[in-house]
Amino acid sequence: MWAIELFRSATFRLAILFALAVSVSTAIVFAFIYWQVATFDVERLNAILVGEVARAVTQPEDRLEREIELRFTSDLRRLDYAALFDQSGKLQYGNVVAIPEGLPIDGKSHTVEMRKLRGDDAGTEPVVFVAGQRQDGGIVLLGRSLYEVDALRQVVLQALMIGIVPAILLALATGTIFSLRGARRLKMINETIIRIMQGDLQERLPAHGKMDDLNSVASAVNLMLDEIGRLLNQLKSVGDNIAHDLRAPLAVMHAKLERGLAGQSDQDLRIAAKRALADLDQALATVSALLRISEIEFGRRRSAFTRVDLTEVCRNVFELYEPLAEAKEITFTFEAREPVFVLGDFDLLVEAIANLVDNAIKFTPSGGLVSITVKANLAGFLIRVSDNGPGIAPFEREQIFKRFYRSQKCHHIPGTGLGLSMAATIADVHGFDLRVEDNQPGAAFVICPRQAA
Amino acid sequence: MPIMDHLTKPQQDSGHGEAPLASAFQNAPVLLVEDDPDMAAEVTKELTNLGYHVRVAETEAEGLAAARSHPATLMIVDRMLKGIDSLSMIETLRREGIRIPVLVVSALASVDERIRGLKAGGDDYLIKPFAMGELAARIEALLRRSNDSRTTVLQAGPLTIDLIERSAMRGKRILDLLPTEFKLLEYLMRRPGQVITRTMFLEDVWHYRNMPQTNLVDVHIGKLRHKVDMAGDTPLIRSVRGSGFMLHVGD
Repeated sequence: MWAIELFRSATFRLAILFALAVSVSTAIVFAFIYWQVATFDVERLNAILVGEVARAVTQPEDRLEREIELRFTSDLRRLDYAALFDQSGKLQYGNVVAIPEGLPIDGKSHTVEMRKLRGDDAGTEPVVFVAGQRQDGGIVLLGRSLYEVDALRQVVLQALMIGIVPAILLALATGTIFSLRGARRLKMINETIIRIMQGDLQERLPAHGKMDDLNSVASAVNLMLDEIGRLLNQLKSVGDNIAHDLRAPLAVMHAKLERGLAGQSDQDLRIAAKRALADLDQALATVSALLRISEIEFGRRRSAFTRVDLTEVCRNVFELYEPLAEAKEITFTFEAREPVFVLGDFDLLVEAIANLVDNAIKFTPSGGLVSITVKANLAGFLIRVSDNGPGIAPFEREQIFKRFYRSQKCHHIPGTGLGLSMAATIADVHGFDLRVEDNQPGAAFVICPRQAA
Repeated sequence: MPIMDHLTKPQQDSGHGEAPLASAFQNAPVLLVEDDPDMAAEVTKELTNLGYHVRVAETEAEGLAAARSHPATLMIVDRMLKGIDSLSMIETLRREGIRIPVLVVSALASVDERIRGLKAGGDDYLIKPFAMGELAARIEALLRRSNDSRTTVLQAGPLTIDLIERSAMRGKRILDLLPTEFKLLEYLMRRPGQVITRTMFLEDVWHYRNMPQTNLVDVHIGKLRHKVDMAGDTPLIRSVRGSGFMLHVGD
């Protein structure tokens, strides 16, 4: 079980793969060295032996004997074997008893297995022999043991083993350690996720210590969980608010209709029905606005943003609301010097500004002042919708963007209480900030690009 | 404040002249495809009162059969029929070459859904819940949909507007209109004698779908009315109780 899990771990597989790669590349290098050493040395020996034999074959016999003696005693062991045979193959002198079986007498080099010259007598070793026929019929035989080449090969092989085996072991060990550590953390994460799935949304993934990849994924997941938690809370409070905001007008409606039915005349019923209808419209408007907000929030990725001129957006809203302000005898001004381009959705932005202007006009008394200002600045741009109405008390400035929040001062003014929430949602989708400031007197709503935190 | 006189709130129309409610298309056959019996009964009642001849189909199959066998002048189709999206039915009809106007009625309110509805072959898209007045106005607008709009001069009763010069006259009097007012008057003059709801104005003249609830349209119409209907003139722009406005240019 443990072994299977270990083997499944990606880190461990990576380690094995790494070990394999190390072995293969080392083996290739060593094989090359091995091959080079062996062939080069053997060829050098062959060439020397062939040359010596060719020389020996032509030399007079007395000198040959002396030279062979000389080679044996003084030469740096370039020859291990040397012998002169007569025509019948009988040894004249030298240290080889008989011509090795099957050795052609052709002046070329041949490798023959011979009993070992040195050390204990067990076993054989390869020897290179060259035999040549003299003119008088005698045979010169020279030989050189390959034990040095062989030893060299052994050394190379040993080096390969000494090098490669620890490398593989090291790679495997590191892989095992890392994958065990990773496996433990993954297991913890996995268990946490299961707990979260089972409904414990307060749970967070372990993400402390160094910012390695696992930790950064874990903290991203934690941020996501925070956001989900926030949305769920919002959803819950929206649900509560819907229940409250719909139940209230429905209850009033219920009462009105009942009274109308209990009334004496048809006229009573008519009036009651008409008022109930107005209440119902209000309730429906609330539902529509809520759906609209969630549509905007939900559609934030799909919305195809284009280059939009904010001045144009605000001018549209200004023209739309000018008569309304005029009718309420409010001085309504629009101030913009140049086009201000951003990436956005024209209709949504109009909707956001319209909600701000709508509020401003709604809450500013007759004779008041409402203005829209669009400016380009260092941060990008700034839209300001200001009025000199009752303003917003400092303690309310956070709350007004919450859904359904309605200032205590204006409970008599009809509205869904969702306008600012809508504007804030639209600003958010665009990556803009919407905040409220004191206009001294009155309120000023400011939209600007979000400052990096 | 003279303009305030013309202001109307949706629920309290000023007595500026009530328009007749009966449809100009008496006995026009209308096919209603709707699976909710209560809704079907209400709509049938309302449309019958207006003078339409209503036939109801409850399922997609019935709707298809009825549309093929009994040609109607207009179809009203509920978007969801027993849980099945009825847009495929409209697509089928369009493929078969049945070109009658279709009004899609739906609780799916998002812009994407509206676009899907219109792409499938719907001519207008009305979101549930709706006021009966809104439904009636939309139906009439679809039935009247004229193949305008090559003309550069529009005329309705004493009103004349020149679309190129952007000028407007009532009789011999030149009307000094702002661009928005001109667009509103043009929209009205293309639909004389037809009820136009506030939503239709917002959607068609301003192309806004989701404006905060106010009497925006009323104020704009009020301003226009102030310029078109002077004291002593026969009022041409009239309010229709509970629905919207109408350009009344005499019989």
